[in-house]
Amino acid sequence: MNIVGSFLINVSAFVALAVGGGLGTAWYMMDSGSRLSTRTLGPWVTWTTAGRPDADPYTRAHTSRNALLPISSTLELTYVATSDSNGGRLHSACEYAIVMEDPEIAWWGIAAFDGRGSLIHNAAERYAFNSETVMREPDGHAVITLARDARAGNWLPIGGGSRITLVLTVQDAAWAAASVERGAPKPLPEIQRVACR
Amino acid sequence: MKVTVPKLPRWLRQVGWRTVVGAVLLAGIVHITATLAVPLLGPGNAFRKLQETLPANHMVFLPPPTPTTQLLPFVAADALYAACRFDLRSTSVAVSAVLSDPGWTLSLHTPQGDNFYVMPAQQLRRSEVTFVISPASERLVDFGSRRFSGDDSQIESPVTEGLVLVRAPLRGLSWRAETEAKLRRATCTPVASKR
Repeated sequence: MNIVGSFLINVSAFVALAVGGGLGTAWYMMDSGSRLSTRTLGPWVTWTTAGRPDADPYTRAHTSRNALLPISSTLELTYVATSDSNGGRLHSACEYAIVMEDPEIAWWGIAAFDGRGSLIHNAAERYAFNSETVMREPDGHAVITLARDARAGNWLPIGGGSRITLVLTVQDAAWAAASVERGAPKPLPEIQRVACR
Repeated sequence: MKVTVPKLPRWLRQVGWRTVVGAVLLAGIVHITATLAVPLLGPGNAFRKLQETLPANHMVFLPPPTPTTQLLPFVAADALYAACRFDLRSTSVAVSAVLSDPGWTLSLHTPQGDNFYVMPAQQLRRSEVTFVISPASERLVDFGSRRFSGDDSQIESPVTEGLVLVRAPLRGLSWRAETEAKLRRATCTPVASKR
C-alpha cells in the first residue's frame, strides 16, 4: 500500500476513534451513568447528585438532556427501573407485582411510563400511585400490579406494546441521606414478573 | 502449547500507535466538551420546553398530566403542578404558596435544571410559604436598591432566569378539587423597586 493510502487510513481511524469514541462514551455516561454518578439497588438506579447545584457534569447533562426538573437529592430521590428484579426488560406484554413496604418513608410515588418518558394511555386514566392513594393490606404494605388488563387492587395499566420505565420517587430527607452517603442502602421494592403473553 | 494470536486485517495494521494515542487524547477532549456543552447548549432541557408556556413572573397552573397534555417527560400524573418562569433582570419576584400535605414541594430551578432551593411540606410547620427571589449579586452590586417587607424571606438566586415549580400530589379523586384550589393560591409577582 502506498503512502497516500496509509495516510488516509490513519486519518480515518483518528477521526473515527476521536469523534466516535468521545461522543459515544459521553452519550453512555449521560444516558446510563456509571458508578461515578449513579447508585444501583436491584433493578433501581438513582443519580446520586441529581438536582443539586454541585452535581457532577454527567448528572447535569443527564438532567438537561432528558428535560428533567429533579428535586435536590438531599431531600428526594428518584429511582428508575427498566428491568425487573431478575434482569428481564420491563415490557407491556408482561404482568409485574411490586410490593411496597414503607412504614418509615415520609412520602413516595410510583409511576409507569413508556421508554421515552411518556405516560401510557389507558381507559382507566390511571398512571401512578403514591403513599396517599395506594390501597394497603392490614399490615401496612401495598401490592401494586402492572398489567395490560384490569386487576383487583392497585392496578397500574401498561398497554401499548412497548418497553416500560418505572419511576419511584421517595421524599424523605433521612432516607435520602442514608442512600446517598453510600452507607447501608435502604431496601427498595422488588419488581417480580408474574407472567408474560 | 502454542498460542495463536488472531491476525489483524491488513488495513488495521497500517494504523500507527501515534494515531491511536492521539485519537484517544482527542476523544477525551471531545468527551469532556460534549458533557459540559449539553446543559448549556442542549435544545431539550425543561426550561426551554416550558419557556413558551410560561409568561415571565406569573404563576401558571399547568394542565394535569395526561398522555396528550404532558409537557415534560417522566412527570408523574398523580400530582398537579403550577410553575412560574422568573426573570430577575429588571425586578425581584415574590413567591407564595400553600404546602399543605406530605409530598407537596416548592422548588426553584436554574435553566439547566439544578434545584437551588426547595421547600417541602412538613407537619408541625406553617403551610403557607412566602419569600422573595432576588439576584445573588444584588447585595454586593446594588445594595439597598430594593427593599422588601420585614416579613419576607429572601432567596438569592444564582441565575437571573429560572423556574419555580409547585408540586401538589393528589390524595385521590375526591380530593382533586381541594388540591387544585390550594394549588391555585400559589402566586409569583414582580416586586416593585424602591429607591
